[in-house]
Amino acid sequence: MALSLPSGLVPTEVAFLCEMEMITIVPRQRLESIPMLSGKTPALRPPRRADLPLWLALLLKKQRRANIVPPPWLLPASLQEIVHLETNYDPEAFSPPPPPPMRSDGRGVARPYATTTRSGNEDKELILAPPFLPSCTQDAPSGYLPYHWLEIAETLLAHAADDIPNAPEVRALLRDLQEVRAAKMRASTRHLEGGGGVLNIRGVGAMELAESRGFVLGVVDGVRKLGASAEAGRREELERGDDEDESDDDMGL
Amino acid sequence: MYGDLGNKLVQQAKRTQNLAHLPPYQTELVRAVTREVRDLDKDVSALLEPFQGSFHPTDDQAVACTLLVNHLSMRRNKRCLLAYHHTRTDRVEELVWKGYDVVDLAGQQVRDGSGNTSSASSTTNGNGSMSNLSPQEEDYVRQYSDLLAAYKGQWTDIDLTGSLEPPRDLFIDVRVLKDAGEIQTEYGQFYVRQGDVERLIAQGYLQKLS
Amino acid sequence: MSYYDIDAILTDAEKVPCKFELDIPELGYLDNNPAQPLKSGTTVGLPLWLAELLALANRAPSSADEEAKSFVSLNLPPSLSNEVMSALKADPRAVPLRDQSHNFYGLGTRMLDLFEEKEICAILRRTFVTRAADIALHAGKAGATDDMGIGGGEEFLRGLEEWERKLFKKAHDGAKGSKEWMEGVKKHRR
Repeated sequence: MALSLPSGLVPTEVAFLCEMEMITIVPRQRLESIPMLSGKTPALRPPRRADLPLWLALLLKKQRRANIVPPPWLLPASLQEIVHLETNYDPEAFSPPPPPPMRSDGRGVARPYATTTRSGNEDKELILAPPFLPSCTQDAPSGYLPYHWLEIAETLLAHAADDIPNAPEVRALLRDLQEVRAAKMRASTRHLEGGGGVLNIRGVGAMELAESRGFVLGVVDGVRKLGASAEAGRREELERGDDEDESDDDMGL
Repeated sequence: MYGDLGNKLVQQAKRTQNLAHLPPYQTELVRAVTREVRDLDKDVSALLEPFQGSFHPTDDQAVACTLLVNHLSMRRNKRCLLAYHHTRTDRVEELVWKGYDVVDLAGQQVRDGSGNTSSASSTTNGNGSMSNLSPQEEDYVRQYSDLLAAYKGQWTDIDLTGSLEPPRDLFIDVRVLKDAGEIQTEYGQFYVRQGDVERLIAQGYLQKLS
Repeated sequence: MSYYDIDAILTDAEKVPCKFELDIPELGYLDNNPAQPLKSGTTVGLPLWLAELLALANRAPSSADEEAKSFVSLNLPPSLSNEVMSALKADPRAVPLRDQSHNFYGLGTRMLDLFEEKEICAILRRTFVTRAADIALHAGKAGATDDMGIGGGEEFLRGLEEWERKLFKKAHDGAKGSKEWMEGVKKHRR
């Protein structure tokens, strides 16, 4: 029996993985370090900020034992900047993802940018892929949407709206972003007409991918099938051409 | 034309793919298609008979073409028959993985209004009631269920046929719809783990509250 | 493509015009006239599963100076005719493809395997991609309202052939999945 799920991650799975994203909190109560499979959590000492996985941060928030510090990109000014970029800069491309967590220090050495040391974070190792990037902590750069932007934003608005400055405006800006980007996604498949089969999806988030994967792959596959015989004919011709070249060479020798 | 009945069967298969349940087995149609194959085979024998085993396609092209048409029709019917049954066994396996057993599957009612041919095409099982499964399919369901149970039984910590939905919370709230007797889960009666009661939800004893 | 692929089997049943190249006494039924022989030169619409191999099978030449020929010669089906192609060229969205053929693109690829028709290939690609954007828009709306056939949706679906319906379902399910998750997050607020 075939697996009943479509290929690739579905939205609920994406959202589940997103709960591993690190997020900054301000504890309201002391909490000792908890040993977990993924490592020890930092000991919580109010009012010192700490980074926790989203699922734990949400649990403490629900129990009123912590407040959440929204990532800088989720603030209204940052979102306005991104909306501006999406609508005015390039009508087709998505706004760029956050820069990699390495930056040149100007002396030819690359350094991670988000390793300000806080309690329990001194020995933080450098990780380069979501959901382990510090792309949703207070150190995340503003003006860039990280891979899990939509899930983080929706979850925080649902569970910690009181921690987000000007939540209604944030909500409205997110709707705008979602709409303009969904339209770009739909339009992007037009470039497949030539049969190149290549689509630029730089900057597209995890939830957006989960939503559009089936459709986009369906279009890619359809275009490929429609051109399959023409493609086979072209290759045959190419091969035949090669053969002729070889025989010419033989003659020349 | 030859192959038309086979095509009807495949259209049934197409319909099956778009339905949540398994529609009645098309006994009559399957019988008619197999009969057509037998008739075609008889035709081939009759066409070849005058040649006494020394038929040369080059000498009699009209007969050669007729034979080819007959052959292709038989091959087409075979593909239709196999694909129809394949689609149904696929669905049966899917439903068994979802926790249905042979009683559930055999007793499924035709829920869509368009099933006007159902009375003519359903099989009748031993008790005289209508079943959506052919006798062979019933057997298949039984044996496949046993196979799956034996396979699942190798693991006690995980339920292979459990939900593939990632949990939102460790515990869920449920509403009791039917009396299921006394059930003790690891964590008592008020909060339950989704994994512990999944089967009861599927069977309709409990309803998950979101 | 699998042997058991239902859509491939149904595409195989799409009819194409075939012209018979010889008289065949036994096959009159193909032209709805079982009592009469099928005359050479008769054109009959035959399903692909029959037509393709009849056209590809070589029969031996009946005399030494005749070239080897097949039993039938194929033609492009009406759904790929010049008129349909011009209509698609003018506006891909305006043609209800399902009325042309339930398996329009499937039939198209099969014919492109047999005939080298660069222009048809290009038109089909452009049609598919252009209509896909429309499909995504409608399916997204339908997915967000959790309804496959609300208002104009049903009418829109009616004009879609099989590949497009599949595409619609994929886009619909994607939109529905993320919508459901979003609503779940809001509902789950405590």
